[in-house]
Amino acid sequence: MTARPVSWVQPSRRLTGLLLVAVPVLLFAWMTIWPILSGLTTALTPQQADGSRPLSFDNFVTFFSDPYSLANLGITLWTCLITLGLLLVICIPLALYLRFAQGRLATYVQTMAMFPMFVPSIILAFAFIRVLGPNGMADLLLNAVGLPKIRSPYLTPWGPVIGLVWDNIPLTVLILVSGLGAVSNQAVEAARDVGAKPLALFWHIILPRMWTSVAVVVSFTMLGLFASFTLPYVLGPASPEMMGPFMQRTFRDLRNPEMALTQATITMVFCIAFGLFYVRAVARNRGN
Amino acid sequence: MATIAVAKPRRDWVGIVFALVLTVVIVVPMLVVVTWSVSNVWRFPSVLPQEFGFKFWQMTLARSDVWSALTMSLSLSAVVTALSALICLPAAYAFARMEFPARTLLFFSFLAGQAFPKFGLLVAIAAIFLQLNLIATFWGVVLIQLVGTLLFMIWIPVAAFQAVDRRMEEAARDAGAKPLRVFWSITLPQAAPTIGAAVLLSFVGTFYETEGAWLIGAPQIRTMPVLMISFINNQPVIQYAAVLSVLLWIPSLIALVFTRRVVNSGSFARGFGA
Repeated sequence: MTARPVSWVQPSRRLTGLLLVAVPVLLFAWMTIWPILSGLTTALTPQQADGSRPLSFDNFVTFFSDPYSLANLGITLWTCLITLGLLLVICIPLALYLRFAQGRLATYVQTMAMFPMFVPSIILAFAFIRVLGPNGMADLLLNAVGLPKIRSPYLTPWGPVIGLVWDNIPLTVLILVSGLGAVSNQAVEAARDVGAKPLALFWHIILPRMWTSVAVVVSFTMLGLFASFTLPYVLGPASPEMMGPFMQRTFRDLRNPEMALTQATITMVFCIAFGLFYVRAVARNRGN
Repeated sequence: MATIAVAKPRRDWVGIVFALVLTVVIVVPMLVVVTWSVSNVWRFPSVLPQEFGFKFWQMTLARSDVWSALTMSLSLSAVVTALSALICLPAAYAFARMEFPARTLLFFSFLAGQAFPKFGLLVAIAAIFLQLNLIATFWGVVLIQLVGTLLFMIWIPVAAFQAVDRRMEEAARDAGAKPLRVFWSITLPQAAPTIGAAVLLSFVGTFYETEGAWLIGAPQIRTMPVLMISFINNQPVIQYAAVLSVLLWIPSLIALVFTRRVVNSGSFARGFGA
């Protein structure tokens, strides 16, 4: 691209380029930027009895003084933190294994770890109920060997946690394995040669090179979990509910778009730091 | 044999544990679903169905709500994918090959949607659709699903067009080929496999899109995933949902076969910011 000076490009050609990208860009702006700004404006200007819309924080005061709304925000944060913790505990060892192992067994483990990517959430939800739900497969097997039934996580806060962990394993492993590419085999072998134990190796050589991908996983997962709807809706308790089902119910069942937009704004504010970090990471990779 | 086994490096115990645990946690739930779909009778506490058979396949396929949901899902996916290709592929070509003002800014602007929790964004869009009377309409769902395809229907084809060998195009042009002819005969065939993968991903992704269809389309627009939610919540006969799961899974398995190599490559993970 540097070979030709820009002036070589004729003005009509520059216009053609703009026209070709105009439709998706405008559609995107209308369906992303505009709704966010409009939603924020609506949430900040509650409609009064006389029809006027003065600027006020009333909607946010209502949200933060309502115990039920706060409980929903609380359960969302709890689910995010537990899911994130479990994902890191499961996926960091898995990613380390996949980074350093070779052979057919490693290929099989990788295939298994990627498999949930090709299972739609809704099928996962049904499978979860048939395995861990009341009289599910777990109960059948326990009953067959004379053990008591499990306390089913279905319709408890643990339901969405288990489903979301299962659903998020593939991308988390992919991102972590990709990040571990930064750890060179020579560095690991050199540390082993001087007698470093596996734990010391992990702590001093591998972990410092993993931070970026862990941070990407954290922001990606936080955004995904705050926005999750299907799994919490199908597997989670009716009350308190996570923000996704809560917003949906406020919008469709209670027919209160203004409050739903307030809830949406609050979830966006909670995620803004993760969102900006995540977008920066993606843009940086694409820019290279 | 014994001496060979001793000479081998030590057994990969970590790998064996991972393989066993993942098999139990990931394969068993799917097997349970498939087993339910082919059981005529499966009562507690039997570990296996009392009677196997395809009775519920016939009964599920005889339901009119299943057929109308399948038709709805397929037509939505087809319309969304066609519209997306129509507006995104020329844009991708422009981003990859043309110089115009604010090119980089506009290219990265498609990332803005990724900075927000998706369901919050959907609620904000739904509030606008409410004023435009697009709630519970076919085109409302088309619009919301179309926006969901923009990012990768532009970014993946841009990479495909950038990867095309420019020297071959220049050689064709030197031989006297017109620009359109160069595009059809040289550029497009080279970019086609990657673009095909993007189109397939767009179709499958739209087929499984649940949240927009549920929030915007309900109750008039009922897609397969939306029907599946109502089967899980309201249908006492378990086999209906099991058969529907297996049916619903077919597009994903097709995608699995065609995109496995793309997913296993490092560039896929980098697309997610890794």
